[in-house]
Amino acid sequence: MAADSDPETEVFEITDFTTASEWERFVSRVEEVLNDWKLIGSSAGRASPEKGEYTSGTWEEKSQEINFADFKFSITHHYLKQESDKSDLKEELEEDAFPLAMQDLLCMNNDFPPRAHCLVRWYGMREFLVISPGANCEAITSESKCNLLLSSVSISLANSGCQVPMFVQIQQKWRRLYAGECQGPGVRTDFEMVHLRKVPSQYNHLSGLLDIFKAKIGCPLTPLPPVTIAIRFTYVLQDWQQYSWPQQPPDFDALLGGEVGGVEFGKLPFGACEDPISELHLATTWPHLTEGIVVDNDVYSDLDPLQAPHWSVRVRKAENPQCLLGDFLNEFFKLCCRKESTEEILGRGLTEEEGKENTDLSAALSKLTEPAAAPMSKLSVSSMVHSARKHIRRHRRVDESPLSNDVLNSILLYLFPDAAVERSSTGASDASDGRAAPPPSTGGRSEPDKDSDYNLFNQLKSAPSDSLTYRLALCVCLVNFYHGGVRALAHLWQEFVLEMRFRWENNHLVYGLASGAPDLRCCLLHQKLQMLNCCIERKRARDESRKASDGGKERDRPLPGGGENGRRSRREGAAGATAATAAGSGAAREASPGKSWDSWSDSEDEFFECLSDQEEAAAAKEGEAEKGGAGRAKPPDGRLHPHGTMTLLNPSTEPMYIPVTQEPAPMTEDLLEEQSEVLAKLGTTAEGAHLRARMQSACLLSDMESFKAANPGCSLEDFVRWYSPRDYVEEEVVDEAGAPVLRGELSARMKIPGNMWAEAWDTARSVPARRQKRLFDDTKEAEKVLHYLSVQKPADLTRHLLPCILHAAVLKLKEEESLEDIPSVKKAVQQATSHASKQLRHPNPDHKKLEEVISQLVAVETVIARARSLKAKFGIGKAEAGEDSEDLEKFVISLLEEPEVAVLGAGRGPAGSIIHKLFVSSQRLTDFTSDEAALLAPMDDDLVRPGGGADDRKPMGGGLNVPDFPPPAGREILLRTCVPRPAPYSKALPQRLFCVLLREDFRLAGALSSDTSFF
Amino acid sequence: MASANASYGQKETSDQNFDYMFKILIIGNSSVGKTSFLFRYADDSFTPAFVSTVGIDFKVKTIYRNDKRIKLQIWDTAGQERYRTITTAYYRGAMGFILMYDITNEDSFNAVQDWATQIKTYSWDNAQVLLVGNKCDMEDERVVAAERGRQLSEQLGFEYFEASAKDNINVKQTFERLVDVICERMSDSLDNADPTVTGGKQGPQLSEQPQRSSQDCAC
Repeated sequence: MAADSDPETEVFEITDFTTASEWERFVSRVEEVLNDWKLIGSSAGRASPEKGEYTSGTWEEKSQEINFADFKFSITHHYLKQESDKSDLKEELEEDAFPLAMQDLLCMNNDFPPRAHCLVRWYGMREFLVISPGANCEAITSESKCNLLLSSVSISLANSGCQVPMFVQIQQKWRRLYAGECQGPGVRTDFEMVHLRKVPSQYNHLSGLLDIFKAKIGCPLTPLPPVTIAIRFTYVLQDWQQYSWPQQPPDFDALLGGEVGGVEFGKLPFGACEDPISELHLATTWPHLTEGIVVDNDVYSDLDPLQAPHWSVRVRKAENPQCLLGDFLNEFFKLCCRKESTEEILGRGLTEEEGKENTDLSAALSKLTEPAAAPMSKLSVSSMVHSARKHIRRHRRVDESPLSNDVLNSILLYLFPDAAVERSSTGASDASDGRAAPPPSTGGRSEPDKDSDYNLFNQLKSAPSDSLTYRLALCVCLVNFYHGGVRALAHLWQEFVLEMRFRWENNHLVYGLASGAPDLRCCLLHQKLQMLNCCIERKRARDESRKASDGGKERDRPLPGGGENGRRSRREGAAGATAATAAGSGAAREASPGKSWDSWSDSEDEFFECLSDQEEAAAAKEGEAEKGGAGRAKPPDGRLHPHGTMTLLNPSTEPMYIPVTQEPAPMTEDLLEEQSEVLAKLGTTAEGAHLRARMQSACLLSDMESFKAANPGCSLEDFVRWYSPRDYVEEEVVDEAGAPVLRGELSARMKIPGNMWAEAWDTARSVPARRQKRLFDDTKEAEKVLHYLSVQKPADLTRHLLPCILHAAVLKLKEEESLEDIPSVKKAVQQATSHASKQLRHPNPDHKKLEEVISQLVAVETVIARARSLKAKFGIGKAEAGEDSEDLEKFVISLLEEPEVAVLGAGRGPAGSIIHKLFVSSQRLTDFTSDEAALLAPMDDDLVRPGGGADDRKPMGGGLNVPDFPPPAGREILLRTCVPRPAPYSKALPQRLFCVLLREDFRLAGALSSDTSFF
Repeated sequence: MASANASYGQKETSDQNFDYMFKILIIGNSSVGKTSFLFRYADDSFTPAFVSTVGIDFKVKTIYRNDKRIKLQIWDTAGQERYRTITTAYYRGAMGFILMYDITNEDSFNAVQDWATQIKTYSWDNAQVLLVGNKCDMEDERVVAAERGRQLSEQLGFEYFEASAKDNINVKQTFERLVDVICERMSDSLDNADPTVTGGKQGPQLSEQPQRSSQDCAC
């Protein structure tokens, strides 16, 4: 505000002189907070909470900082969120109803809530305030400070009329010591607490505690109204020894022995390596006893856990148990961050050697491809692979290769089962390799029947679960984990790339990939491999037809002398053949058309050349009478089949033939992206559009040329009738003779002068597809793919394969889950899948988010492992008949999902008797070493859970020497009554004492109410 | 404009002046009027005969929607059977499709189901599709009743328009509706994603949602 502003503003600066001291300020600050949170006024009138509502409902809290001088406190409001709105009921309230908290003291619906703030457990309240020292402030240890705080509380509660109990935390935080009070109209409740390290022997049983309670109440009435008692004993079972953990870590040495089935590589490991359930806590509860019904004193006790009317169980889960699948995923994922290239990892020498051996390899193989007389079926991929490989091995010092031969061989066999099939069919066996029979081609998963599962690859952009890529991912993961980490991985990758090159150079299709163009729904690596297959397929078709047409002429055979050389000479041979045939058929190649037509095809002079004998014969028969469009008689060529009954327009008797055409070039997503970027760069102008059309017209031109070749004398109209029927408009007209005649013409757009179609038609020569320039240069594309593969670093590879691994993990989890049928797991798997799906769609998925996905999957694995552990312990699945086992199964599942589960029928129910047995056998084992059995269990801060309790009284129930149950680790005794206090003529008010007896912890939490009007 | 750089699919290096870029594909049988439709929308021009599209072509239009500049990169495809393999490759990465038929041509309508299957096979499963019956100015030659179009669209779960590129009926509306649907889906998926996903750097990435948005016919 500017200095010269309205002087009135100064008047509004009010100094409140009533809050003179720090203490008064503090009190008024507390009142303000109560006002802000709308906690003033009567709290009564709400219905008492439902049974179990403290557990099922949601607890909320609000907090705020307040200062006492420079000492920081935080005030926190804890409350159970309740549906019913209190305002509805307020009208019926009596003036002086007890505050809510006082009613709650006596309510028995929520005794011993499994999960709640300790004050809730001790005092049964659904709403309260706590003032505790701030984060970095020292505890309130002196009595005077405590009293000062309590009187502040008292004053502010009285001033504001707040009926919510307010507590002050005193002493060190861990002691969870609170004092507080609650005020209502004419009544107040004081909350006091005793906390000792040792249980005083005179109070180590019910009767002693009753004595204290009565003494505290100090009730003048005789006889005293009866005290209701609720008791809970908790027993801890830690010793599962008799149930050895069922999961054995897989024996990976066995993998390398004689029994190496490639199938093993198709499976991700699963399960926890240690017991994921560490403890079982049994709480035996007597919810409603009356004084005098039970006897529990220092020499005798009626409280036999087996007789308790109510049992409930909770389990303590091991935190982050080591799980195999999780380890696998994490180790694999770590690789994504590696920077080294294959060369750096394996060392230069190894890669150089590789290059040198390449030639050796091809030389060795050439003899297999050499004799044209040898039928292809006799050639075995495997024998070639292996002879070549052995050759390599000889050069490589054994200690240099990170993967041993055996492992590598079994992996390769798993990846390329076709090698084994061929090998066994030709009977060539290589016993020294010690390999097993061919594994099933479907990898680890034999039921693609579940459509959703099978299509998971689409969601995750991975690869089908029976594909090579998927199997490679599994192997890479396995190799990384068990067979030497990143070095071995690099080695495997190198071998893999080598195998790919081998297959390309020897015309062997890569096994385990769907045929056809790259599936853009899969990961890029998969697309690349598919692309390689496309190339091999085309090359194979070309080579075979050439072989067929040229008989045994030597020049066409793949030449020995190394891949690169061989290919080059082959190419030269092909070019020579083309020239010869072209000359022979008289279709001399005229001046080449505009270069622009070729922009999308390769620039190398390679042509299809696959004139077959039959075709030639057919051509000779049909070709004579026909006149080519260019004026030269030319036999029709490259016909696929007649186009229905359609005939050409000009020589109208001649049937129209659909020509053999070139397939458009297959594309991987990166090529596609590149291409569309190029197209997009041309801009949106008319020229740009025209250029774009030209660039894409190679396919159109090729089709036109093929069409011309197949249909000598045809016109653009003919072509359009086949290619784009709607661009040929037919009209029924009446001719001179009065007969209806169909007359057709090109559509308006085809008649636009100089349009692309007409232009291309004019340019197109009559050339059958096989002699056209290739639209798809398989040689170049294959080399591109192979180069791409060879430059992938191990980290790149893992990134490529990560979707497949996640895919495999999801499938594995689903498979494991289906055995256990845990609803929450189903949901969690789904969530993780869709989370992963979102991430993997990004071209560059976020590292952090992927990590999250992995931890989600690991969490699911842990849950399943826990379920297994519990099921084993409760003997589920051991073919027990009837409802019992079903109930038991439900019980086990709810143990996993709920904090505490009631045991139906307590100690006499089916679950109860199993638990009893578990304790009995554990007792037998530990016999007399009760100390160990009662180890104190660390607990959550805000929960009172029974810890250990060395209770050296005589054991209850059970046999002669060894009791069935260990001494209870914790005992909780809740005493309640409603008596007038402090005077006999005062109102009868709720009184409560909650006693906790642990091994090294003794606590009495008393809530004593007194009448403030009549005493 | 941080999010502009993270645009979907291709980056237009020359023009970074937008908040989002949507890639849209127009598909349908040959000569149903895809190119005319696009020219009407992008250039507001109409020629009775455009050269039959060879392969794939595109136009760009930037519009304002909810205070955001949205650059539409609209790819126009050749409808001839022979071009299917080439054009379907572009399906992945498209956020929206305009599936067009010609109300004066029964075949083009009958092919809609096929086109829809193609979309399902090749596109991202969250791509939005609008069904458009073009040439509704040629009422005399109509062979596909509007009702049939509507029914089919409901069956396929697409929204539906009848439009005319020639008379400029429903052209702009079609594109704007498609953009709105894409935006809705995008905000849906951003809402449902964990909060960190909405961080600006991801850009307008759609992610899959199991449920489809409401299918009301917009006619």
